[in-house]
Amino acid sequence: MNEPTAVPALAEGLGRFRRRRWTGDLTFRSVLAVVTLLVSIVLAAMMAASFVTASPVYQNFGIVGFITGSKWAPSFTVYGAWPFIYGTLLTSLIALILAVPVATLIALLLTELAPARLRAPLGIAVDLLAAVPSVVYGLWGLLVLVPAMRPLEQGVAATIGRAIPFLGPPTPGPSYFAAGVVLAIMIVPIVSAVTREVLAATPRLQREAVLALGGTRWDVVRTVTLPIGRAGLLAAVVLGFGRAVGETIAVTLVIGNSNNIGRSIFAPGFTLASVIANEFNEATETLHPEALIALGTVLLVMSVIVNAIAIAIRNRFTGGTHRGF
Amino acid sequence: MTTAQEEPLARRLQPIGTQDARPGSAATPSPGPALTAGPIMAVRDLNAWYGFRRALRDVSLDFRANAITAIIGPSGSGKSTLLRCLDRMHEVVPGARSSGTVTYQGIDIYDRQVDPAAVRRTIGMVFQQPNPFPTLTIYDNVAAPARFNGLVKGKAAQDDLVERCLRHAALWDEVKDKLRHAGTSLSGGQQQRLCIARALALEPRVLLMDEPCSALDPTATLQVEQLMSELKVDYTIVIVTHNMQQASRVSDVTAFFTMGDDRAGYLVELDATAKIFTNPANQLTEDYVSGRFG
Amino acid sequence: MASEGVLVFVPTSRGRLVRQRLFVVLAIAALVLALVPLVAVFGYIFANGIGSFTSIDFVLKDPPSDLTATGGGVRNALVGTVEMTALASVVAVPVGLAIAIFAIEVGGGLARAARFLVDVLAGLPSIVVGIFVYTTVVVTQGHFSGLAGSLALAIVMLPVVTVSAEEVLRLTPRPIAEAARALGLSRWRSIVSLFTPMALSGIVTGVLLGISRAIGETAPLIFTSLGNNFFGIDLGQPMAALPLLIYRDALNSAYEAARQRAFGAALLLTIIVFGLNLLGRWLTGRRRLAGSRR
Repeated sequence: MNEPTAVPALAEGLGRFRRRRWTGDLTFRSVLAVVTLLVSIVLAAMMAASFVTASPVYQNFGIVGFITGSKWAPSFTVYGAWPFIYGTLLTSLIALILAVPVATLIALLLTELAPARLRAPLGIAVDLLAAVPSVVYGLWGLLVLVPAMRPLEQGVAATIGRAIPFLGPPTPGPSYFAAGVVLAIMIVPIVSAVTREVLAATPRLQREAVLALGGTRWDVVRTVTLPIGRAGLLAAVVLGFGRAVGETIAVTLVIGNSNNIGRSIFAPGFTLASVIANEFNEATETLHPEALIALGTVLLVMSVIVNAIAIAIRNRFTGGTHRGF
Repeated sequence: MTTAQEEPLARRLQPIGTQDARPGSAATPSPGPALTAGPIMAVRDLNAWYGFRRALRDVSLDFRANAITAIIGPSGSGKSTLLRCLDRMHEVVPGARSSGTVTYQGIDIYDRQVDPAAVRRTIGMVFQQPNPFPTLTIYDNVAAPARFNGLVKGKAAQDDLVERCLRHAALWDEVKDKLRHAGTSLSGGQQQRLCIARALALEPRVLLMDEPCSALDPTATLQVEQLMSELKVDYTIVIVTHNMQQASRVSDVTAFFTMGDDRAGYLVELDATAKIFTNPANQLTEDYVSGRFG
Repeated sequence: MASEGVLVFVPTSRGRLVRQRLFVVLAIAALVLALVPLVAVFGYIFANGIGSFTSIDFVLKDPPSDLTATGGGVRNALVGTVEMTALASVVAVPVGLAIAIFAIEVGGGLARAARFLVDVLAGLPSIVVGIFVYTTVVVTQGHFSGLAGSLALAIVMLPVVTVSAEEVLRLTPRPIAEAARALGLSRWRSIVSLFTPMALSGIVTGVLLGISRAIGETAPLIFTSLGNNFFGIDLGQPMAALPLLIYRDALNSAYEAARQRAFGAALLLTIIVFGLNLLGRWLTGRRRLAGSRR
């Protein structure tokens, strides 16, 4: 029979449970916090530095004056951002108009219609479009796409273009429209990827309810998928827009590089990103570099606004996951 | 008051299944760990909530050392919640809280100065679904937690520990040739025994088992039940189970919980297992064990 | 309404069938429309660039100093790209992991702010990143450098790594997280030795995708590392990179040989990027198939 022994003294017993003050966990968390804080500060500082560098330009022309100014003449120290803002918005809009329907259809194909075994490989193929370096897109765009589209452009300019100057001549080749088409190709993958995510989250119950009632796949899409996924689809569009706004090199190569506001979409022009890339390394005039950086800050603000909207939509849509460990 | 020598438990344990005991292994005959005069764990006025929903109401009970206490009752009676309150796993759930005291050998484990991780090393838990670590080998599943907690160092000591714990979990013979395989390459019953070995490697005093056999087939269940009987010599075991036959087979003491009108669980009756199942004092208990409800 | 005879089910109306067919046709057309450029671009670059692949010298030699000469290679650009991307990864991967783990484990205001900054960074035009590094590093140093280029690429990579690491770490199965807690393991141990290894293939995929993106970037390098016609590994000097070489020479160079090399470089770059992309995706796919028996 075992002999009972007494319970260990309270203090000693507590000792084996006592919380150690300087634990490995505290060190771990502190290191993580320091790294996170440093990175945040560095990023914020870089943004601030850009604004600071650009401030002489803003002081000179005024914020509103600079943004709406439509003349850009470095040799006369006249700088206005409007031609480039216009170019950015126009090309991105063209890209959206062309890309969103295509990307949405692709997403529907890959989540609803295609046989299951094909979905992954086709999805990867579409995603590979995003992997192509933008300089490669630019090369191909200028040397292959632009010449190929010229007959089409001339045709449109000669016919509809007579009534609508916006669609009229000149058609030198590199133009807003060419940039828009290349951008469209480049944003299809991101719009389709986000849309696929959204569509895949369609509640199974409701999908199957429609099918069980004799609906076709198209009916499922029409009545369940699109209405429920509306917010997510909007986020996809906004993200695609943000991507188009920021694309630099491919646009530079096919947009024709003109400081003027072209009258037609077939005219050459510039976007915010492409003018910076084009002129930066030869910017020797007074305030020229600062003005280009000021354009960069405009682009920064535009991009932050667009992305913040997309993030907000996305967060509301997914509700935020708390899981982890 | 003398203090007990706190030798690492495993060193004093005899290998189970002595046919395959290695000659010359440390089989120091020993009377087993010190029996405490009172209960090894005591719960007083325990209430537990998940957010606003109360899961346990005013629970008070003792757990006898070196005994198997079974906690039985219908679904929703707070059995698992009680178990999780015993090793401070309840508070891990977001929004969960509790009040009352839970003492281990006289110390309130919810005391502010107490480190929850330390509590969990002394009061171990085995879950309903086996959860071995998928990126660790069978060997490391047992050795790594002990190593991480600083309980063992060096290859020899770890090899020793792994073999002892796997023997105690009645798994050694089946895995001794594949210790380097992934922890998840075993069958369900083997994985559960691996989780038991893993818990034993920390040399806990109390082992909490939350329906440990519900995901196992009858053969594996039998093995784990046999294990429990052998383990109680050196450990205190608290087991939550839906299976009344299992409770009556395996346990020394049984606690019957049920859900009250406010949908919170409460303790109805606690007594020797034999009594609970043959002649319970409370009508509710009688109804439950005779199968009239639950 | 079922009728007797041959027809048991009411057939879909003609109009709806037509709409369904039209839908399918349009969707397939859209897919083809999107994939045609992929094939066309790769085909064009392949056709024009493959000529440079006839000799291994293409990656072993630098561009000749006599600009009219044929032959030579793009070694300087390839080495520059590899060096800057490697340095960028060394910075971006640990930092991205740290931010992801911080956001999950600690959370709170700082974590939310940092994650917001990272999310914004994800959508930021890479030329703006180049401006960031220019106004801080290049201006301060007084000259362009490979270091500045590496920093710009690191900033481009960071959001890709952080977002994918956080995503995959959040998928840590709850039973495993609970087992680690119930064994009394410290948080840092659990994260470093258990959860992160479990998430490894997902993290590696994120890293590979981040590298693939950074390698193809031209804009941030234009005013950070600037480019270099000569071979050099000194990060304190302007450094060559494949995208820069392509951008400068493919169209603007007056010399046929330089243009040819640029197209060869374009093919090389595209192959590398595709390879990294596919490798990363293949790894993730494998992760889904592998795993435990259950």
